[in-house]
Amino acid sequence: MSAAEHGPDDVLTVRGLRMEAGPPGSPVPLLDGVDLRVGRGETVGLVGESGSGKSLTARAALGLFPAGARVSGAVTAAGTEVIGADRAALRGLRRHRVSMVFQDPRAAVNPVRRVGDHLTEALRARGVPRREARDRALDLLERVGIRDPRTAVRRFPHEFSGGMLQRVVIAGALSTGPDLILADEPTTALDVTTQAEVIALLDSLRRERGTGMLFVTHDLDLAAAICDRVHVMYAGRIVEETTGAELLSAPAHPYTRALVAASPSLHGDRGAPVPVAGRPRSLAEAPSGCSFRDRCPAADDACAAAVPAVRRHGGAAVACLRPAAVAL
Amino acid sequence: MPRALLTWIGGRLLGAAATVVAASVLIYGCLRLVPGDPVLALTAGRRLSPEQIEAVRQASGLDQSLVRGYLDWMGGALRLDLGLSLHYRTEVSSLLADRVAVSVPLILYSAVLAVLLGCTLALVSAVRGGAVDRAASVLAAVATATPPFVAAVVLLSVFAVGLGWFPATGAGSGFWDRWWHLTLPATAMAVAAFGVLARVGAAAFSEELGRDHVTVARGRGIGGFALLRDHVVRNALAPLVTVIGVLTATLFVGTAVVETAFGLEGVGSLLVGSVSRRDLPVVQGVSLVAVVVFVAVNTLVDLALPLIDPRVRTGAVR
Repeated sequence: MSAAEHGPDDVLTVRGLRMEAGPPGSPVPLLDGVDLRVGRGETVGLVGESGSGKSLTARAALGLFPAGARVSGAVTAAGTEVIGADRAALRGLRRHRVSMVFQDPRAAVNPVRRVGDHLTEALRARGVPRREARDRALDLLERVGIRDPRTAVRRFPHEFSGGMLQRVVIAGALSTGPDLILADEPTTALDVTTQAEVIALLDSLRRERGTGMLFVTHDLDLAAAICDRVHVMYAGRIVEETTGAELLSAPAHPYTRALVAASPSLHGDRGAPVPVAGRPRSLAEAPSGCSFRDRCPAADDACAAAVPAVRRHGGAAVACLRPAAVAL
Repeated sequence: MPRALLTWIGGRLLGAAATVVAASVLIYGCLRLVPGDPVLALTAGRRLSPEQIEAVRQASGLDQSLVRGYLDWMGGALRLDLGLSLHYRTEVSSLLADRVAVSVPLILYSAVLAVLLGCTLALVSAVRGGAVDRAASVLAAVATATPPFVAAVVLLSVFAVGLGWFPATGAGSGFWDRWWHLTLPATAMAVAAFGVLARVGAAAFSEELGRDHVTVARGRGIGGFALLRDHVVRNALAPLVTVIGVLTATLFVGTAVVETAFGLEGVGSLLVGSVSRRDLPVVQGVSLVAVVVFVAVNTLVDLALPLIDPRVRTGAVR
C-alpha cells in the first residue's frame, strides 16, 4: 500500500504488523501484515466490522498489546519504534507524543478520582509541577468547551454527561501536546448531536495543532466525511486503502462495496441498506487465500490460492483479484 | 451536603443504636433466663443465709421487674456504671478500664499485621498472577482455616519455647516491652484475618487491574507504583475497608482465646474467667462493650464509604 511512500513527516507508520495470541503450539492469529501511515496533520480512518482488528492496530501504536501476544513487523510512532521498545521508551512515547481517546468515556476515566486528577495525571507523571499542570488543565477544559473549568476540575466523572465526559477525555489526551491522536470509536457511545460536536472539536484541534489522527470507526459516512484517507480492515488485514472522498462513491474491494451497501444513507442516494451476507470473521476463522472469499459473490478458485496482492484501482489500493466486480 | 446523604447518615446511626438496644436486651435477659433462682447462679451455689440472699437480690436488681431492672442496668451503663463484680468486689467499669490497656493495643497490633501483610500478598498475587497467585491462594486458604488457638500453640512452641525470641506470657510494661510481648498473641489472632484479606484483596485488586481506566492510564504512560496506588488500590478501597471493619470487630472476640493462651490480663481473658466464676455482672458488661465496639466499627466503616467512593455521595451507587 502507499505506506511504502511514507515521508519524514509521518507521525505513524505501521509496516507488516503481525500479531498472534494463544499458546505457541496452537497460535490464534489476530493481525496479518497490516500496513498504514498517518502524516502530520492528517486524519486517517480505519474502518471495518467488530473483530477485524481495528482497535488492536490502533493500540499497537502505543505499544499496548494484548497480554501474551506475539508481535512482529514495524510500528513507528512519532519517531519511536514501538515493537521491542523498553518500558522507559514506551512511557516517554505515551507521556509526550501519542494519546488515545477511547470509546466509552465512563470506563476510561477512573470513577473515584476527580476530573482534575485525570487531566493532570500524564503531565504530573512527566514531572510538570502541580500548579502548572492544573493551569494547563483549566485551559484545556475551556478549549474543549466545558463551562466553569474551575468547578469542573473539582467534580467527579459521574457528575458529567457522556458527551461532556468525552470532552474531558479529549482534553486529557491533548494535555501532553501529542503529535498523534488515536481515536478509537470516540463517538460510538454518544448520542448523535453530541457526536457531531465531539467530531468538530477533534477536527478543529487537529487543524490547529497539526496533530495526526488515526480515527477508528465502523461508521462509513463519518469516515468519508472527516478522513483524508481510509483503510478498510477485514479479518486482521487491510483490504483497501482509499481516499475519504472515494470511500462511498467508488469503493473497490467487494467487502468495502458490501459495507457501503449495508450502511443506511442519510441522503437517500444509495437505496435501502443491504446486509453483508454471512457473519464477520476474525483472522483465526478466516478461510485460506482471500479471507473475504466465503462471503464474496465474485469469489472463485483463484481467490483461494493466496492472499491477494495489493493492486492499484483508480485512486485506491486494493487487495483483491477483481476490484469493483461486485455491483453496488 | 446533599439532603439524601444526611438522611442516609441518620439512618445508619439509628440502625446502629437499634442494634445495640436489641443486643443489650438479650444480654440483660440472660441473667433472668438462667434456670432456677438467678441468685443461686450469681452466688455459685454457696450456702447463704436468707438475709444474704435478699442482699444479693437487691444489689443485682432482681427484686425489680424485668423492664425496671433492664432500664436501671442500661441507665447505669450509659453513665459507664456496669455494677459491681461479684468476684473482685470492684466496679466492672474500672475492671474493664484496666484490661482495655492490654486488649486495645493487642487488637490494633493484630489488625495492622493482618491488613499490611494480607493486602501486600493480595497485591503481589493480583499483579503477578499465575503460579504466584496460586501459591498465595493456598497460603491464604491454610491461614483462613487456622483457628487462633492452633496458631497460638504453634507460635508458642516455635518462637517462645523453641527459639526463645519472644516471651510466652505476660503483657510487659512500657511501650516497646508491651509491643514485644504482644507480638506472638497479635500474630496468632491475625492469621485468619490475614488469610481472608489476602483472598478478598486479590480478587478486588485483579478486578480493578482489568478495568479500562487502568489500560487507559497505562496508555498515558502511568506505570508502576503510581498506577497501583491511584488506579488499583484506591479503587479497591471500598470493598476492602468493609471487610477490614468486620475483621477488626471480630478480633475483639478473638481476644478471649488468645489472651487466655498467652496469659494476658485483657478483656478476653476477663470474660473467660468471669464465665467460669459465674461473675455475671462482668460477663454482661464485657458482652455489652463487645457489641458496642462491633457496631461502632461497622458504622464508622459505613460512614467512611462516601468519602472513599464519591458515587455513594450522590446516590449513584446503592
